[in-house]
Amino acid sequence: MRIGKKITALLSLAAAFIVAAQTVVASADTTLPYDSYNYDYRENIVYTPAPYTPDRSVSGLTIKVGGFNNPQDIYTAADGRVYIADTNNNRIVVMNREMTKAIEVIDSFVTDDGSSGTFNKPYGVAVSNSNELYIADSQNRRIVHLSAPTTDENVNAPVENNRLYLGKISDPKSEILEDGFDFVPYKVSVDYADRVYVIAANMFQGIMVFEEGNFTGFFGTINVQITAWQKFWRKFSTKEQRSKQQLFIPTEFTGIDVDDDGFIYASNIDTEGIQAVRRLNPKGEDVIRKGENGNVGGDVVYRESFEKGDYNGPSQIIDVVVRDKGIYSLLDKKRGRIFTYDSEGNLLYIFGGLGTQVGTFSVPTAIECIDDNIMVLDSYRGEVIVFKETEYGNLINSAVGLRYDGDETQAVELWRKVLTLDENNELANSGIGKAYLSDGNNEEAMKYLKLGMNRRYYSIAFKRHRATVLKKYLAPALTIIIVLFVALYAFSIFVRERREAEERRREAAKSHV
Amino acid sequence: MSKYFTKDKWYYCFRILSNPGDSFYEIRHREYGSVPIALLMVFIFAICYSMNRLYSSFIVNDVDPRAVNLFPEMLAIFAFVLLFAVGNWSITCLMNGEGRLKDIIIVTGYSLLPMILFYIPAILLSQVVSLNEKGFYSLLIIIGTAWTLILILVGIMTIHNYTLAKTLVTLALSIVAVLLMLFLFMLVTDLVAQVYQFFHSIYQELIFR
Repeated sequence: MRIGKKITALLSLAAAFIVAAQTVVASADTTLPYDSYNYDYRENIVYTPAPYTPDRSVSGLTIKVGGFNNPQDIYTAADGRVYIADTNNNRIVVMNREMTKAIEVIDSFVTDDGSSGTFNKPYGVAVSNSNELYIADSQNRRIVHLSAPTTDENVNAPVENNRLYLGKISDPKSEILEDGFDFVPYKVSVDYADRVYVIAANMFQGIMVFEEGNFTGFFGTINVQITAWQKFWRKFSTKEQRSKQQLFIPTEFTGIDVDDDGFIYASNIDTEGIQAVRRLNPKGEDVIRKGENGNVGGDVVYRESFEKGDYNGPSQIIDVVVRDKGIYSLLDKKRGRIFTYDSEGNLLYIFGGLGTQVGTFSVPTAIECIDDNIMVLDSYRGEVIVFKETEYGNLINSAVGLRYDGDETQAVELWRKVLTLDENNELANSGIGKAYLSDGNNEEAMKYLKLGMNRRYYSIAFKRHRATVLKKYLAPALTIIIVLFVALYAFSIFVRERREAEERRREAAKSHV
Repeated sequence: MSKYFTKDKWYYCFRILSNPGDSFYEIRHREYGSVPIALLMVFIFAICYSMNRLYSSFIVNDVDPRAVNLFPEMLAIFAFVLLFAVGNWSITCLMNGEGRLKDIIIVTGYSLLPMILFYIPAILLSQVVSLNEKGFYSLLIIIGTAWTLILILVGIMTIHNYTLAKTLVTLALSIVAVLLMLFLFMLVTDLVAQVYQFFHSIYQELIFR
């Protein structure tokens, strides 16, 4: 009897274990070569479902144009063509939207005077709204401007050199440039008005802006920041010591992208790990929003850089891509991670890593996106790794998009679905809370806003809740208090009267005696 | 035991709030103070301190509730009070202070009373304030802390029969003494650990042989 009971208990325990193990397998995707995580309000790492999963990798061999050699930039044009600056092969390769075949290979062009031009280490590539092509031809020290494509996508073999030469930008002249300035362009971008933005080598003053081929000035200079401590030390060091010290020069920009409204997103390597991307308005001022924790610099928590190993220190953001609805993603060279932020500077999700499996990078160099996919260019392997959106990623992207459009009530449905996949998601909780708040359901709003650690909105909900509670109970409470006071007063009078009457009677009895 | 908790002693524990100078004088010279009551005050203060960290409302409180732990916090507060008392005593002994160690502990413990009295209403008030009214909560905390600091200053000054300037100097030196004691403590524990490790490794060598 007893043994039978024990065995059944053991069996049920085993069954419980099996069920638990199954759910664990179902929730954690063990096939991914990287962790997906995010930071909560208290900057603890919270592991999340994968927002993106590796789909495939595209190399020069898969599209039959010969392997890429140290490609440095990737760009998706408005018409869906994907451009790759195949740097050490001195050519530009153009693929179709699905990246299944090469459409064009550009390695030479005919210049104005009829001579043939070639590229020498083309580092950057960009396409304007009218599909004209700009190439940062670094070792030829010029930006080459080529025409829009002349053939359509339906070609069997890649078309060679079908672009017309429209001009070049070289040897910029200006008072603010030093004499003998060596113009080596690395990255290039074009806005809706065909203004060209260039990141050039050793150009610490900022991004160079060109209008109609002429240099017009610098843009978005990063100011040098010296701490009081560094100032203090410099005061006490000799001239010789100072000459040996690290120079206080601003960091250079690493990547550049333009959004539909003409705002420039430029990434830089921030040694403090706080701000690795700037959103520059047409005046060149930084208008980025930094979110609750004031950080748009990649990893919030990392091992200090003076410790041993190359895997520590703040993230090194090497490129930025602007996506739909104010969402943008940063690519970290140091740990191979992709950080995605919304327009308010909230971290949405983090994924990716270094390695040799499919879906990880050796030397991540550039990031782009097309439709729902994110593409990362690995210059060492000469591959483009394509990531596709999961349900989780899609829900967050869509919900943030709806909020960006001001449609918070519709976003609530999506946030609820996010909560079923990731129940501690603070953005989802605070999104639902805000919707409850605008619906007037203050108690529910308080619950969700607290889970979302949104103190400001929680306070608003609390204030409204407090007002309704007061309205409901203040009048009855005051009435009860007044009635009690009156009753107490009446009772005390009654008691006194009785006592006095008693005394009078007693005295009357005494006098009788 | 009852001699520590007489009516007079309880009365003086609260009397310091209104006239600290006289009360601390009488505590020093007429034995109106009680060390157990002072330690009880430290105990209650430690509870209030942790309660404030845990139960103040979400709006005013940025402390991670998982980080609140009553016993280590209480231990730290007791350790600090005792270290401060010993540090102050060792400094004032050399600087003609009239107070005994007992008096210093009583002054420190009793002086925590305003903080206790202000923390509890602050926790209650925090339940009904919104973010704009957070100032009221902070005000209560600040008043309580300032009052406590003033009481400690007046108390130390009175029991040692010091001038204000001398009190401030001794207080600063007391903090130095506290740091020195902590340093020595860490040094000793580290050395003891090394000695222990030495013998431990000998032991391991022997048993693995």
